[in-house]
Amino acid sequence: MSEDIQLLIDDVVAKALAGDMDPINNIEDRVTRSKAKAALVKAKRFQPQIEVDSKSVQAAEKSDTESKQTIEQIVIASLSKNFSDFLDGEQNNDWVQIKAENWFDIAKYLKTNEDLYFDSLQCNTGVDLEQGMLESRYNLHSMKHLHAIEIRIKVSIEKPDIPSVESLWRVADWFERETYDMFGINFTGHRDLRRILLPEDWDGWPLRKNYEEQETYHGIVVPKVKEGWE
Amino acid sequence: MTVDYIFDFLTGLLGGFLGSDYLLLASMLIPCLAIFGFITVYALIVIYAELKVSSFIQDKVGPMGQGVGLHAGKWGLLQPVADALKLLLKEDIIPSSADRPLFILAPFMIFIGAFISFVAIPFGESIIVADLNIGLFYILGVGSIAVLSLILAGWASNNKWSLYGGMRSAAQIVSYEIPAGLSLIVVIMLAGTLNLQDIIKYQEGGIFNWIIFDNPFVPIAFVVYFISALAEVNRTPFDLPESESELVAGFATEYSGMRYAFFFLSEYANMFVVSAVAAAGFLGGWQSPFAGFMSTPAWGVFWMISKTGFLIFVMIWLRWTLPRLRVDQLMNVCWKVFLPLALINIFGVAIWTVVFNS
Amino acid sequence: MGVVHGQEMVLNIGPQHPATHGVLRLQVKTDGEVISEITPYLGYLHRCFEKHCENVTYEQVIPFTDRCDYLASMTMNFGYVVAVEKLMDIKVNDRVQHIRVIMAELQRIASHLLATGVFGLDLGAFTPFLHMLRDRERIIDLFEMTCGARLLYNYMWVGGLSHDLPKGFVEATLNFLDYFEPKIDEFENLLGHNKIFVERTADIGIMPAEVAINFGVTGPNLRASGIKWDLRKDDPYSIYDKFDFDIPVGQGIKGTIGDSWDRFYVRLQEIRESVKIVRQAIDQLPKDGDVHQSMPKKIRPPKGSIYSRTESPRGDLGYYIESDGSDTPSRLKMRSPAFTALGVLDEIAGGWLMSDVLAILGSLDIVLGEIDR
Repeated sequence: MSEDIQLLIDDVVAKALAGDMDPINNIEDRVTRSKAKAALVKAKRFQPQIEVDSKSVQAAEKSDTESKQTIEQIVIASLSKNFSDFLDGEQNNDWVQIKAENWFDIAKYLKTNEDLYFDSLQCNTGVDLEQGMLESRYNLHSMKHLHAIEIRIKVSIEKPDIPSVESLWRVADWFERETYDMFGINFTGHRDLRRILLPEDWDGWPLRKNYEEQETYHGIVVPKVKEGWE
Repeated sequence: MTVDYIFDFLTGLLGGFLGSDYLLLASMLIPCLAIFGFITVYALIVIYAELKVSSFIQDKVGPMGQGVGLHAGKWGLLQPVADALKLLLKEDIIPSSADRPLFILAPFMIFIGAFISFVAIPFGESIIVADLNIGLFYILGVGSIAVLSLILAGWASNNKWSLYGGMRSAAQIVSYEIPAGLSLIVVIMLAGTLNLQDIIKYQEGGIFNWIIFDNPFVPIAFVVYFISALAEVNRTPFDLPESESELVAGFATEYSGMRYAFFFLSEYANMFVVSAVAAAGFLGGWQSPFAGFMSTPAWGVFWMISKTGFLIFVMIWLRWTLPRLRVDQLMNVCWKVFLPLALINIFGVAIWTVVFNS
Repeated sequence: MGVVHGQEMVLNIGPQHPATHGVLRLQVKTDGEVISEITPYLGYLHRCFEKHCENVTYEQVIPFTDRCDYLASMTMNFGYVVAVEKLMDIKVNDRVQHIRVIMAELQRIASHLLATGVFGLDLGAFTPFLHMLRDRERIIDLFEMTCGARLLYNYMWVGGLSHDLPKGFVEATLNFLDYFEPKIDEFENLLGHNKIFVERTADIGIMPAEVAINFGVTGPNLRASGIKWDLRKDDPYSIYDKFDFDIPVGQGIKGTIGDSWDRFYVRLQEIRESVKIVRQAIDQLPKDGDVHQSMPKKIRPPKGSIYSRTESPRGDLGYYIESDGSDTPSRLKMRSPAFTALGVLDEIAGGWLMSDVLAILGSLDIVLGEIDR
């Protein structure tokens, strides 16, 4: 990388941090542009995160301080204009914790809103939080705006119902089947919720912390004392 | 005909001891055994050739060894023998849900089809089992028996993959027989006979008298015939009936051991038959490429075998170079390209003959 | 499977079938040669990777990651150690970073060679496959020289590497690259421009960009659909921002953008780019630096979670690690790129002929070890 290009990148990144994205987007050379964008991502990561209360978030939305907010704050601000009482518990700068009830509508909004446009579901995983709670986590990503966010939905182990987003992101079809397979989280509205990795007649949800191996499987006794190979 | 010669010879030798019925039977059996021996030896050689040619194409050494023992002999020469032995010694499995009589019948039928074609193949001026006056027609006719046995094998195995293989081979072989036959009509038109020996005699007198160089349309006919023949014997790029990455092994999926070996053997035998027809029809058969040079009857056998061998080599070469066509593309090529081309050839040759040779 | 009509037949492709690249069962509904519906059944190779990880320490997870994608073990290691290092905030020195990049890119070449070769094999072209395996073998020799293993390396450790580069590795690698670069053109001519191959792949199994994104398809399959998305550029990890390379995307040279031929061609082009990266990394390789320098005595990440993505030869390889502060992960999820690539099969391959479906499956380059985990 020559020094000229380095200087150019430093310059446009500084401008972008101030809120003006045009210089970056106007770079002709694709390699340089992507380098600049990468540098921008890096610069944003090391910026101090500023605590903003919800009122100033809304106020700030129109102003040019977008880049100073974390994406989580932007998402919460944007969502709170359209949904009420969707947040679940205390929030954090690394993820957004929401309630299960209107997850489908929220997901639809996240996917279709022009400013957010999370068109890609990167990953869905379940986590056993113990104390009778399960959690489903969604890592969303926008191919258009190149930002990513993590959504968490907590449900009780007695009634683990979460609306399925399989019809929004088709990739969720298999992701949700896998989470169902491993944790027993019931994705309501899923068109084909079956086990995917384990046999259809498997008992229990293996990745829950309280999982007990079955005594027998198809009449074969499962050895309890494992020697040598484990 | 050869049978008559042998009969006369045997009558002279043993006429006093045995009745003529027995001698006739014996004189028929002797050429059969000779052909069977020839096919077996030829198959071993061509299997070895296939292994070695593919190895050189694929940048590897192929079967190698330093001597008899655990290795496959000098240069791997014993490899085809080992392969044949392995197939012979394998357990003969018939699936319980297979149609037993048909399942057993299929490999024999395909072998019979290949075997009886050899009857009319001229190896030399006087070395032919039966010098039929419709030799070319006969070979085309009995060659179609293969398709029956492939369908039989596909159906009798009671396996979906086999069924697919059988259906594909039926469609493919029946379609490709048409351009192959039409291309051979060019040869018949020029030579004016269906007798293979007469066709070869028509091409006497050096390389430029061969039918392939007769006029500009015949090379096209030769190419059409050769590609159609490839399709008829199920070789890549037309090996759809047994395409291993799609249909597991096609019609042969459920066959093992000796029965599988029969499919294998008849594939190679059919390769020889179609190559020999091409050599006889287009490349002068047992005629020497240069008039008067190495043209004794013994050299005739050499020329015939080497021309056929070269065409077999080309088949092996193509197999290890080209990917496989899809089933609809296969049909497209046949009906939309080869069939019109073959018909145009017939007209072209007819007009050429009238204009230039009259 | 739904209703089977009178003309239709239900057929199981696999679990043992030459074209499924492992143990995968595709239940298909066929009408003659046309396949109308494909239902994949997974799990024949499920080895409880995630359950195992909850019972072993962080460093013991690395050999398991090897075994997930056995054709790209180096990048599997790479993705995992990057994730744990991010979680623990470890900075590794430059030499380690360069060696990791060299290994990952060599692995990418090896994996793509196998992928394109096997794709040819699915179409009946046996010879290109063996030519590619011959060159892959030389890369495997380089790995063997480095860490003694030929397939499952366990080479990258959290905060470092298991061994430094052996003597003569740099020369051997440069020798290999000099030998290998002309071969790429050879492969392209041998397979890519073969008329029958083009007929079999161009305009077959077209994956439009929206479908690819919606189904979470990543890596070469996504780029073949015309989207310039590569984590090495778009979200650079390790030191990929120091290198100059292009991201090849599908251009529909022989057919439509996003067809099987594009997927093949993008992989071939990526081999060229990887060669470029390896050359640059060798040029810049620092002479000194201890590969064990920043390895922690005890890997005990702070409480928290991380989702870290890296670019494996098959696409975005994500590791989701939830740490409870102990030395075993409380939850470890691998987001497998081949898993999502297989998910799109029914969408893009339904309605095609049987031969095409198996060609499309081959063009997606799936590894069952990674799908089933």
